[in-house]
Amino acid sequence: MAPEKQRILMVSDFFYPNFGGVENHIYYLSQCLLELGHKVVVMTHAYGNRSGVRYMTGGLKVYYVPWRPFVMQNTLPTFYGTLPIIRTILIREQISLVHGHQAFSTLCHEALMHARTMGYKVVFTDHSLYGFSDVGSIHMNKVLQFTLADVTQAICVSHTSKENTVLRSGIPPEKVYMIPNAVDTAMFKPAEERPGGNEIVIVVISRLVYRKGADLLVEVIPEVCRLYPNVRFIVGGDGPKRVRLEEMREKHSLQDRVDMLGAVPHASVRSVLISGHIFLNSSLTEAFCIAILEAASCGLLTVSTRVGGVPEVLPEDMVVLAEPDPADMVLAIKKAISLLPEIDPQVMHERMKKLYDWHDVAKRTEIVYDRALKCPNQPLLGRLSRYLSCGSWAGKLFCLVMIIDFLLLHLLQLWQPEEDIDKVPDFVIPPVEISSAFDQEQDD
Amino acid sequence: MNESSIATARFTYIHDRKWPSAAIDVHHVIVRQSNLKGLLVCLLAFGFSANGLYLFMVLDKSPFALLWSLLLSSILLKLGIGKSVLKESVMIMPHFGVQLETHYKSGRISRRFVPVSTILKPLLLEHVNPVTSYWVLSLILLKEEELTPVFKELHLPLKMLVPIWKELCGSVSGDNDSSVHSNVEDHEQSV
Repeated sequence: MAPEKQRILMVSDFFYPNFGGVENHIYYLSQCLLELGHKVVVMTHAYGNRSGVRYMTGGLKVYYVPWRPFVMQNTLPTFYGTLPIIRTILIREQISLVHGHQAFSTLCHEALMHARTMGYKVVFTDHSLYGFSDVGSIHMNKVLQFTLADVTQAICVSHTSKENTVLRSGIPPEKVYMIPNAVDTAMFKPAEERPGGNEIVIVVISRLVYRKGADLLVEVIPEVCRLYPNVRFIVGGDGPKRVRLEEMREKHSLQDRVDMLGAVPHASVRSVLISGHIFLNSSLTEAFCIAILEAASCGLLTVSTRVGGVPEVLPEDMVVLAEPDPADMVLAIKKAISLLPEIDPQVMHERMKKLYDWHDVAKRTEIVYDRALKCPNQPLLGRLSRYLSCGSWAGKLFCLVMIIDFLLLHLLQLWQPEEDIDKVPDFVIPPVEISSAFDQEQDD
Repeated sequence: MNESSIATARFTYIHDRKWPSAAIDVHHVIVRQSNLKGLLVCLLAFGFSANGLYLFMVLDKSPFALLWSLLLSSILLKLGIGKSVLKESVMIMPHFGVQLETHYKSGRISRRFVPVSTILKPLLLEHVNPVTSYWVLSLILLKEEELTPVFKELHLPLKMLVPIWKELCGSVSGDNDSSVHSNVEDHEQSV
């Protein structure tokens, strides 16, 4: 039996016009769910002047709520401040299920909390790996424990990420599903002709921060340039570690062999990728890594650190893995250079089309939604018992937070009854425009 | 004179076509006073003020406690009882313009006349603020960057806004068509 059509609210602090893994995931998943006949509404915070209601491709409605971000694009956590607007959106859009994204998003946590108080089923997707020992991770894990104590279902983007989320939050593993990310193969296509000549171009596109292994690049690039005079590097991206890479370039006189492009707009990433033969990823931690999918879709052989969920992403003949150590990475690049003649970018692209598809991700997510909606409703007292198991002090605190939320909700229902909130009429846009891009790509 | 009305718990909408030719189209929205809500707000404000006075005079606490209580009470009264709007009206005079009126309890009436030639389009938009979202009927005016809300103070339900929006659209499009035709006729005569 086909799953019922739902009205889904996606909530996260991370959405367009920001570009990143989470933002892309929400956008592509929403578009594919719209094509499947569901109604999808996205809620995020305002970005500069981008505030209010906007419509994106396919009729995707986005609420840019004017709560200013306070650090790293996150909304200021107020616990109860977002209750009125979240309640209003849930009622006026007649939402049936709330899907929150990213453990680091305060708006996501608050929305899931309020949605549970109002009796909605909630699904949470975790996109990142976190540690257990540093202060930041300890606090983050406690917040995640609070949110996931009462979440209906959870989704992780890799098996490693699922293990990490289960250990951090204590959520039963049977409630967690693994649905990987995908890549828009229509956008990331190899060049008609591979870059020729004797030169081998290695492309690096990432944020130049510690977490993405920029310090490893500082060691690896000069060594590879010394061993292979015909190798050139293209480094795209910006961040605090860019200065170190510039210094390395100056120190070893590699100005003509290492091109620093700066921040690369997402629309231009493909044009940078197809100018290379090998894609280098030096991340120190990754739950999934969409970047290597994009590179493989463009026909590049990938060299990556063996961290997190990266080993699960690509088949063995498409990726060369190395430990996050400069010497091991140089050896991996050496191996990749020797494998280059065997690589056919078009064949790689065709394989990626079969392996990763956002339509498949949407269908699997639909199944999760269906199972979430079949879960029984629990009254407040039953739900409070789940919070008590979160810790001797934390459990009681979480229960208090939920009780206050429950009381505030009822106060809000007296102040602004549900009948006073207008339901939004549905504007149906035929899905022809979205399908045509995929059909054209298949014909090609 | 034709009249129709819609009533909700907070507002009463009256659609009035004046004069035998029904030339002028008037839409009134009257605020229905909620005695219970007003009473609750006053009681709460009184409670805060009394608490502040008790802390200051009986328990000898700092005068700041009294000041905060009084400030909180005044904010509560302002939010709960509001700007004391009695009604808002929209008078559509085809081929001429639109008169927007706001009547306050204090007797003050705020009026604005918008000539029909300056109205590019009436719009129904969704407004989002940090605590809520609601529909707003606005006008796009010639040479003005900001939208002009038709109802300045009141947040009306969609079922009251839609008939007014339709009348405004009909009035504006009729005038725009006739101005286009007259421009075409002038051009043909000059040629």
